[in-house]
Amino acid sequence: MKPFSFSKSDKVSKALSAKKEAVQFLAGGTNLVDLMKKNIAVPDGLIDITAVLSDKVEAQSGSTRIGAMVRNSALATDPQILAKNPLVAKAVLAGASPQIRNMASTAGNLLQRTRCPYFYETSTPCNKRKPGSGCSALHGEQRMSAIIGYNDACVAVHPSDLCIALAALGASVNVTDKGNKQLVIPFKDFHKLPESTPDLDNHLPKDAIITSVDIPDNPFNKHFAYVKLRDRDSYAFALVSVAAALDLDGTRIKEARLASGGVAHKPWRWQKAEQYLKGKEANAATFHAAAAIVADEVKPLPGNGFKKVMLMGAIETALQHCLTA
Amino acid sequence: MGLFNTKNKAAGKPDGRVEGIAKVTGAGKYAAEYKVDNMCHAVFAGSTIAAGTIKSIYLDNAKQVEGVLDIITHLNKPAVPGFASETKLKETRFGLPLFHTDKVYFRNQPVAMVVADTLENATYAASLIEFTYQEDTPTVDFKKAHPSVPLKMQGKERGSLDAWSNAPQVVDQQYDIAAEVHNPMEMHATIAHWTADDKLVLYDKTQGVVNVQRTIAKIFEIPQENIEVFSEFVGGGFGSGLRVWTNGVGAVMAAKAVKRPVKLMLTRSQMFSLTGYRPAAWQRVKLGADNDGKFLGIHHQGKNGTSVFEPFQEGITSITRMVYNFDNLKAEQSIVPLNLGTPTWMRGPGDCTGAFAVECAIDELSYQLNMDPVALRLKNFAITHDPENKKPYSSNFIDECITKGAEMIDWKQRKQQPGALTEGDWKIGYGVAVGMWGAGRGNASAGITMEKDGTMTVKTAMTDIGTGTGTAMQNMTHTFTGMPKDKIKIALGHSTLPTAGSQGGSTGLSSISGAVSAVCDALKKQLADYAAAINPAYKDAKPADVLLSATGVSLKTDKNEFVSLADIWQKNNLTDISVKASSGPGAERQQYAFCCSTAHFVKVRVNTKTGKVKVERAICVADGGTIVNEKPAANQISGAIVGGIGMALMEEIHADEKLGNLVGNDLAGYHFAVNADAPIIEVAFINKPDPYVNPSGAKGLGEVGIIGCAPAIANAIYNATGKRLRDLPITPDKVLV
Repeated sequence: MKPFSFSKSDKVSKALSAKKEAVQFLAGGTNLVDLMKKNIAVPDGLIDITAVLSDKVEAQSGSTRIGAMVRNSALATDPQILAKNPLVAKAVLAGASPQIRNMASTAGNLLQRTRCPYFYETSTPCNKRKPGSGCSALHGEQRMSAIIGYNDACVAVHPSDLCIALAALGASVNVTDKGNKQLVIPFKDFHKLPESTPDLDNHLPKDAIITSVDIPDNPFNKHFAYVKLRDRDSYAFALVSVAAALDLDGTRIKEARLASGGVAHKPWRWQKAEQYLKGKEANAATFHAAAAIVADEVKPLPGNGFKKVMLMGAIETALQHCLTA
Repeated sequence: MGLFNTKNKAAGKPDGRVEGIAKVTGAGKYAAEYKVDNMCHAVFAGSTIAAGTIKSIYLDNAKQVEGVLDIITHLNKPAVPGFASETKLKETRFGLPLFHTDKVYFRNQPVAMVVADTLENATYAASLIEFTYQEDTPTVDFKKAHPSVPLKMQGKERGSLDAWSNAPQVVDQQYDIAAEVHNPMEMHATIAHWTADDKLVLYDKTQGVVNVQRTIAKIFEIPQENIEVFSEFVGGGFGSGLRVWTNGVGAVMAAKAVKRPVKLMLTRSQMFSLTGYRPAAWQRVKLGADNDGKFLGIHHQGKNGTSVFEPFQEGITSITRMVYNFDNLKAEQSIVPLNLGTPTWMRGPGDCTGAFAVECAIDELSYQLNMDPVALRLKNFAITHDPENKKPYSSNFIDECITKGAEMIDWKQRKQQPGALTEGDWKIGYGVAVGMWGAGRGNASAGITMEKDGTMTVKTAMTDIGTGTGTAMQNMTHTFTGMPKDKIKIALGHSTLPTAGSQGGSTGLSSISGAVSAVCDALKKQLADYAAAINPAYKDAKPADVLLSATGVSLKTDKNEFVSLADIWQKNNLTDISVKASSGPGAERQQYAFCCSTAHFVKVRVNTKTGKVKVERAICVADGGTIVNEKPAANQISGAIVGGIGMALMEEIHADEKLGNLVGNDLAGYHFAVNADAPIIEVAFINKPDPYVNPSGAKGLGEVGIIGCAPAIANAIYNATGKRLRDLPITPDKVLV
């Protein structure tokens, strides 16, 4: 690993003013330190911001606020989260391993880089790691690649589980920028598609710090499911995952939320299918039709055609689990 | 039912392991953990192409890193005598002429080695070395490469193909298995210390210290006895520790170059390329039977991948000759060179691969015949004699294994009709397959040093890679002498201890049991001789007559003739007693055939919507002769089943066809089974002594637990879904599409 300087900060404003080019903020470090060991991230310095960020889950008027430094394991067991947004806890527990969840922060989870195997192999071309070098996965191993929203520059997917639940629940991201200005970024606008800048995963302004994530109060704490399909049952990234939630009036769907991981460069909301579900009877036929709407939207790569069938199955299963789980 | 039958009070509480406390407290030292004065660190830089020639190397940036002592490449390497010519290289059996060629054979091949004061500096400097190459097109895709490689006869044909050309029942299918990696928890590492010009001390992660001595002696042309090897604790092996790899040779070269002790530990991603793997395999099995299910003949073909610089052939078709009565048998094999590292033996090598094809083909035949696959196997097992050499089996309880396993899983719950058991989106199925492995035995020596207070240390150079060898030695010593277990200490894994072969091929316990028996006899004889100076009743006592306790010796014939250790020590003016003995296989090997066996039964659930396969129950009944210690024995089997689940459902190392890199070469990207993927594994043993294999009656259990596991799972998936999947691993996409 390249030698680097290390400092700690105790205030957001101090951390921001200490931030220089080629210096990165460090929270849980579960992704960044790995990337440094692999010479993928090569910062000149790190600023430890674990002390400047809130590690509390707090009730706000009309929302729940998750401090940026709330560890994944704490988030998954927080009583307010379990009561108001249990889908979040389910998604968190589907990710990583207990050891990693004990370290990983909420904000860091939003900022983790893709797990595309070529991104991790520095001797191969990768536009995300080295802009302009090409995309090895475009003609290579595509098991973990996208099926929607990709382009020739990048077919990588966003790896988080937590973010899929946050996308489904319409969360927003609170940010303090370099000039100490507070910004609110809706979750759907936080992550981005590869476009012509696949090296950038999100719209977080340069040198800004995520301070918290807000989840609006919602009716999705009774009928919800997170289904993650992967090659082993723990410590594996999703082939496809589905966060599903229903607001039911008897057997009629008042409102539905449906989002997926493992399919795109960002957490993906299936809005057409959500619209379709609205007002329908919650039954297998409805769920199958919703899944078919999703299947129509995706365009698998030559090496991951199975994901279309798998995604349909995951959506039907998740919606069914909303009724039974 | 769990690992042990807790209802059986007589079974008692299973013993813990002799090395348990040292391992969990960190007191046990693994190869990379020894502290050697003035030690520095070596780190490999790997090639970034998979085939070609090194054109230029740019070292300036790397050399400027603080603490760098030397950078070794093929241009400036200290000449290694064993790599001086093709002929010499062949004699070393090392394969890769490390830093003695400009050729690149596979990606991540070590092409430079930085030696520096710290691991951090060496690692950083290695990342700054730049190469230019003349790149050739690599061949890495086994499935694309193998069809053009012709097959060759493997062993003698038994009977003839013509004899069953009109068999009324024939199954003729092809089976594929992806390459798998061992990746034991402990990374391969070596500390090399030249204590004189021709004297070397090595701390090495290995399954055999003597093999390390022998290999390094050949490569560096120094006497074998001048090399001292420590491998006292080993964090798993699964076969990857049966060879010396580049970390060993690299560390020795580096230590010579900088004249300091050098540590070289591979990174996890290097482990994928530099320490072997189970090669990808293709097989075709043609199986003929009559309408009652009696096997008439088998034609088994197999190919496996190897590297372009070193041939490695798996014994894929060996198991076909052992388990069943085939009057007619033809086997053919070949190897397919690829631009990958050299594969090596991995748990159940060859047989594990072969059993997948044969046991699936038999399952296919059972459906064709509409016959219970358990009954079909029972009808065709070769129980009394090895069908190849016609020698009687010393013991063979594979029939009891399959009968007991069927009872344990309640086999009658299985439906002969595939897809008949359904729960919502889940289909439920049952599968069976068997495994067999030759029960080998090698030469081994052991020593005992006894102190005045009765404390005994039983010693051998053999390693314990986690199998419980040390614990078994303690158990056997207790059984053979009567000495309480808390008085018996164990010393292992050091080349100055009484010599023993590598721990591999399931021969460890079998070999060492003879040595332990012999050395216990030697000790008893010695004690009897000393006791005779005090009590004439001991004058002509045979070892079998002598019984030890914590305080003294007595005679089986007359327990009143007790002589205390204190008296023996005083009368004979002793400081300690040291005895040594060797033992090995004998004439019994000419008279008998030896095997251990398993029967695997699994119940799976397969989700028709998501393709998810869940192993709900996994049962393994094993014949390993006498079970010396049930806890580590069952642990061996359950670990093997977890490996078998991985092989069946997820393990696959895949190389990018154009770039030649291994995709996802870390523990997150390579999926081996974890606890969440395995049910509570139910293990049972036949536990009957083998009368001839060795004095303990125990047969090895290391390999046989995994052999047959993957086909049992594949067969259960067929029973659940009606879908026959012949390409491992059976990932959810294959189930779905």
